[in-house]
Amino acid sequence: MRLIRWKAFIPLTLLLVLLVIGWIVFADTLVRRTVESFGTEIVGAKVELQRARVHLASGSVVLTGLQVTDPGAPMRNLVEAGEVVAAIAALPLLEKKLVIDSLALRGVRFGTPRTTSGAIPAQKSALTPALKRVTDWAAQIPLPSFSLEGLSGVVDISALSLDSLRSLTAARGIVTGADSSRQAWEAELRALDPRPQIDSAQALINRLKGVDVRQLGVQGMAEQVRTARATADNLKKSVDRVKALEGKVKGGVAELQARATTGLALARAQDYAYARGLVNLPSLDAPDISPALFGQMGLDRIKGLLYWISVAEEYLPPGLDPRRQTGPDRARAPGLTIEFPSQHAYPQFLLRFADADFSLGGENAAAGEYQAKVAGVTTQPALYGRPMQLVAQKTAGRVGPETVRVAAVLDHTRLPLKDSIGGYLSGLPLPTVTLAPLGARAALGRGVTSLSLVRVGEVLEARWYVKTAQPVWERMVGGTRGVVGDMLWGAVSKMKEIEVETQVRGTLAHPSLSVKSNVGTEIARALKQEVGAQVAKAEQLVRAKVDSVVDERVAEAKTRVDGVKTQVQAKIEEQRVELERVKAELEQKIKDLTPRLPGGIRLPGQD
Amino acid sequence: MLILKLIQQLIKTLNSDGTPGQVAFGMALGAALGLTPLMNLHNLLIVAFAMVLNVSMPGFFLGWALFIPLGFALDPAFDALGRALLLGTPALTAMWTAWYNTPVVPLSNFNNTVVLGSFVAWLASFIPLYFVLRWAVGRYRADVYERLKSTKVFRAIGASKVYNVYRLFRPE
Repeated sequence: MRLIRWKAFIPLTLLLVLLVIGWIVFADTLVRRTVESFGTEIVGAKVELQRARVHLASGSVVLTGLQVTDPGAPMRNLVEAGEVVAAIAALPLLEKKLVIDSLALRGVRFGTPRTTSGAIPAQKSALTPALKRVTDWAAQIPLPSFSLEGLSGVVDISALSLDSLRSLTAARGIVTGADSSRQAWEAELRALDPRPQIDSAQALINRLKGVDVRQLGVQGMAEQVRTARATADNLKKSVDRVKALEGKVKGGVAELQARATTGLALARAQDYAYARGLVNLPSLDAPDISPALFGQMGLDRIKGLLYWISVAEEYLPPGLDPRRQTGPDRARAPGLTIEFPSQHAYPQFLLRFADADFSLGGENAAAGEYQAKVAGVTTQPALYGRPMQLVAQKTAGRVGPETVRVAAVLDHTRLPLKDSIGGYLSGLPLPTVTLAPLGARAALGRGVTSLSLVRVGEVLEARWYVKTAQPVWERMVGGTRGVVGDMLWGAVSKMKEIEVETQVRGTLAHPSLSVKSNVGTEIARALKQEVGAQVAKAEQLVRAKVDSVVDERVAEAKTRVDGVKTQVQAKIEEQRVELERVKAELEQKIKDLTPRLPGGIRLPGQD
Repeated sequence: MLILKLIQQLIKTLNSDGTPGQVAFGMALGAALGLTPLMNLHNLLIVAFAMVLNVSMPGFFLGWALFIPLGFALDPAFDALGRALLLGTPALTAMWTAWYNTPVVPLSNFNNTVVLGSFVAWLASFIPLYFVLRWAVGRYRADVYERLKSTKVFRAIGASKVYNVYRLFRPE
């Protein structure tokens, strides 16, 4: 019996030939489906491709009819490209890696309408976590409300819920904290119990006072000094222990005091705001009015930018640790597919350089020639070693002196991540802003707008700025009427310039929002002039109501904290002073007993 | 019809095609296709081996068919084994990294936990599987077949007009 079946080589060769033919025939379809599937996963909405052509000989791939759905508007394309030509390095393909040396996009259009929805089921989008993260991030930023309803009625605060008052919760927390801390510290002090030691040392001091040095002799004297020194050492250890406890108690009391003062004051301010919200009493301060009017709008823009930063973080992670992702979609379990990046090897994906020239048609202000360049897009920035860069700008306009500039640098080569994105547009039409609380809307016309975001690790600084000198004001049907409504409409409708600056600063976990706008300032001025006294009186009533509920509890909390300070801290301090006094007295006695002899002779035990 | 065909193939394979060793070797090779995810480079190599080596091809296909359900059932275990090898054994990380960055090797999808886990499990069980199957085929031919061949059901299955394409690759 022969081991090798030689006649099988013919069908085997045929099988291999069939596989090669199959690859050639189906390569285009395979590439098209891969681009669609991978693109959809990245964008979080449908990415469709009309056709893909693979030219193995020249190492190029031509994609035709690329449509990328806008994840925020499924009936619109974020971008559409007539033709995409990619020059692909062949060698990395053998390592299942995609290195695109250059990419050229032609016939690019933005915001084109779609015939079918490009939405995908939420669970299929790999970016759902990123979207959720950004949405949660934005939701934690408090936006004040602004309403004029409270000015028209009687201030009725009967709906005030005690459970919603933060001062009460905070005060209860302080009382509980003070009680438990006092018990714990008293227990510790009892465990230390320096009193027997103090008494014993005092007895020793008294005994040493009556000692006759001549009667004791040198040996006896040395014995007495040794005993006294050992007692002094023990006293020192006790002093150190009591001091440690004293420091701990002082720190704890200081923390309780801070909670009882600053913490309660902050909680009370929040309670005032809550109570004011119940009666829809508007704030008359511009820093409160502007965020209420424009905060959401600015936050939405910054949120959009942060979403793409989040996406970049997901796909362009730093470091070279093995990375895991869910395996391929198949009948069998997908398992995990793990990447093992290595220094001096190709990254899993690298786009060295991409260039796009495109024009926007029409006669509007956005029409013109544009140019965009991208370099260093890679899934393993640590391997590539350089940040990803993007520059896009308008190179020629058809109408007016418009400027469009977008630039981004994403440095994920090492931690902390450093991202910087900025866009500046001038002369382009700005959106219409609806100011619901005023019952008005303003078509901003042409103006300047910029959006920027700088993030270093967890620290974030984002800014959205709009300025226009061509606002067209319109009063909405069913908007706020009455004396105050008319007065505010009169104030804003005369404004010939609108300027809004929204900033988000802080860490990703604790961002803070500030909005500055001349519209808010103008409204605050007009309100103060017209209804300032009325609002102040109503606010006084609201505050009085809150104070009447929380004052007693707050006072109790402060008393309890003071009690801890006087009872525990003072007791510990007293014990420490007593210990130090006895220790000092004993050390003095030791010195008295151990005078230096002539000629520098020392007694045993003398330092 | 499909089940009938499978039973007929089973009977003919176990009974007539080649020595028990050839059938067992073919089945042990075919087990790879059943146990590991099909569309992978190593399976292409295994098919090539099965064609070139003088083993029972019907045995190979039978092994494949028999081990498919087992492959599905053992996926969680393969996944766990793959994770242990790829992620839980730091001593192997250098080797995986080298393989991952070597041309052609990554095309095998060795870095997938189910692929690696099932492949290693198949490889480890190959020799024991071969001996167990060889013994089982021998016992079948000696005992079971002799008792079954006279039964009505057995004769009916044997007479059904199902194809004998497998004979193309009968062991020589």
